[in-house]
Amino acid sequence: MDYLHTDWAAMSRNDWIGVVFTVLAFVAMVAVYVLVFNPKNKDAFDSQSDMALRDEGEYNNSGDKK
Amino acid sequence: MEATQATPVKYDMDVVRWFTIMAVVYAVVGTLVGVYVAAELAWPFLNFDLAELSFGRLRPLHTNAVIFAFGGCVLMATGFYMVQRTGQTKLWSNAMAWFTFWGWNLIIVLAVITLPLGLTSGKEYAELVWPIDILIAVVWLSFGLNHIMTTAIRKTSHIYVSNWFTMGMIVMITYLHVVNSMAIPVSMTEAFSIYSGVQDAMIQWWWGHNAVGFYLTGGFLGIMYYFIPKQSGRPVFSYRLSVLHFWTLSFGYVWLGAHHLQYTALPDWTGSLGAAISLAMIIPSWGGAMNGMMTLSGAWDKLRTDYILRFLVTAMAFYAMSTFDGPVMSIKSVNALSHYTDWTVGHVHAGALGWMAMISFGAIYHMVKKLWNTEMYSERLVNVHFWVSLIGAVTYIVAMWVSGIMQGLMWRDYDEFGSLTYTFIESVSAMHPYYVMRTVGGAIFNLGTWIMLFNVVMTVRQASAVRSVNAVAAKA
Repeated sequence: MDYLHTDWAAMSRNDWIGVVFTVLAFVAMVAVYVLVFNPKNKDAFDSQSDMALRDEGEYNNSGDKK
Repeated sequence: MEATQATPVKYDMDVVRWFTIMAVVYAVVGTLVGVYVAAELAWPFLNFDLAELSFGRLRPLHTNAVIFAFGGCVLMATGFYMVQRTGQTKLWSNAMAWFTFWGWNLIIVLAVITLPLGLTSGKEYAELVWPIDILIAVVWLSFGLNHIMTTAIRKTSHIYVSNWFTMGMIVMITYLHVVNSMAIPVSMTEAFSIYSGVQDAMIQWWWGHNAVGFYLTGGFLGIMYYFIPKQSGRPVFSYRLSVLHFWTLSFGYVWLGAHHLQYTALPDWTGSLGAAISLAMIIPSWGGAMNGMMTLSGAWDKLRTDYILRFLVTAMAFYAMSTFDGPVMSIKSVNALSHYTDWTVGHVHAGALGWMAMISFGAIYHMVKKLWNTEMYSERLVNVHFWVSLIGAVTYIVAMWVSGIMQGLMWRDYDEFGSLTYTFIESVSAMHPYYVMRTVGGAIFNLGTWIMLFNVVMTVRQASAVRSVNAVAAKA
């Protein structure tokens, strides 16, 4: 447990900014997991899986779509 | 609102064409310099006692050429290509895209001049001197602003995941480059970093590993998520997983830099944290690699005839391999053996040759056909290029893995009296066969880039000839 010991009194302002930012980043990451794995959002995400294929069409020699 | 097939869209593709051509040229030049510096390590007389040709000066030229010249042109070509086509809109500013093109190439020319002259900041993967650093920031921001604004004016409601990866790279590389390059100039070519001691090392590897994470991985994953579905004609296996891949990569990668500094003056916990998050990153990385491979479900037979797809899929295998290799090397006990050895060089080239270059070659061939509205001059040469690249990459990587592990074992071998068994120079001599093998592997890989250059040039000429004939026929 010594390895995990923290001297809270010695924390500087920069340390606290880092801690707060880290915790917020963690919470944001959890929020992304919830968003992505929520079954209600499955169809909304997967409906975009062929989006790259939808941009096909006829193109002329300058790369523009006819 | 989704644009329909009938909607005429005029894209700005000239700048994409030029970025693509320059990417092919820089692939040849960058790997050629790499072969030369590899040969210098095998046969040191090749520096001819000229400072400008010495390994220390040419090595950063090689890394800058392959990462920023070749890799940068690929990322900008594909970035502008994908954002227009998935957004069904032209570029926000074609003029700014041309500024980006000329600015980026000017930076490369300046690197070619300054690095052999020994003008360097001494920071790995950020060697260019401070005036060029400022130019990089300006040109990179022009690319970023144009890409983000093109995304903003898109005609589709959804922003495709590839564009997220590209924009994530743009934001993070801006931040990393500016913070890492902060320095106090003392002349036009010299400056002192505003960080000192261990902070300087920490900032350097925060930049160094995130350049790998957001530029060489994130940027190229954007390419993967667009070009594998395009080339295979299959939708992304799991779009949900691709979104998760993006966010976990973005949240996770920023913590890894400290694993480059195990057993240094850095606090012990930072190295442990770097290693722990590195191991955790195997999950999203392999999830992404599987997602890319599973996109081929029902289309695996295409690998028999589609040589471009071979490049793209093989790249996924190397991506999975190098994202396993890296985390393992970050573990302290493994790092004690691997650090400062050629194992690191092997790991880096598994990523650079196997992942980054292979996915780029696949994307380049795909784009050349679309951009010039033609078939490749020779599909057979694409296949030859694939096998030459694969053989060259594997030869190189195996040589460095074996050499690195041998080096590590020799350096830590003690005799019964507690003295080192080998002198350092003995370990250098023992590396010679592997350095020769590395040079041969690199030369084979470089040969592949010449084949690609020839094939692309002939394809463009073929397309131009057809266009001229059509124009004459139309007039008649």
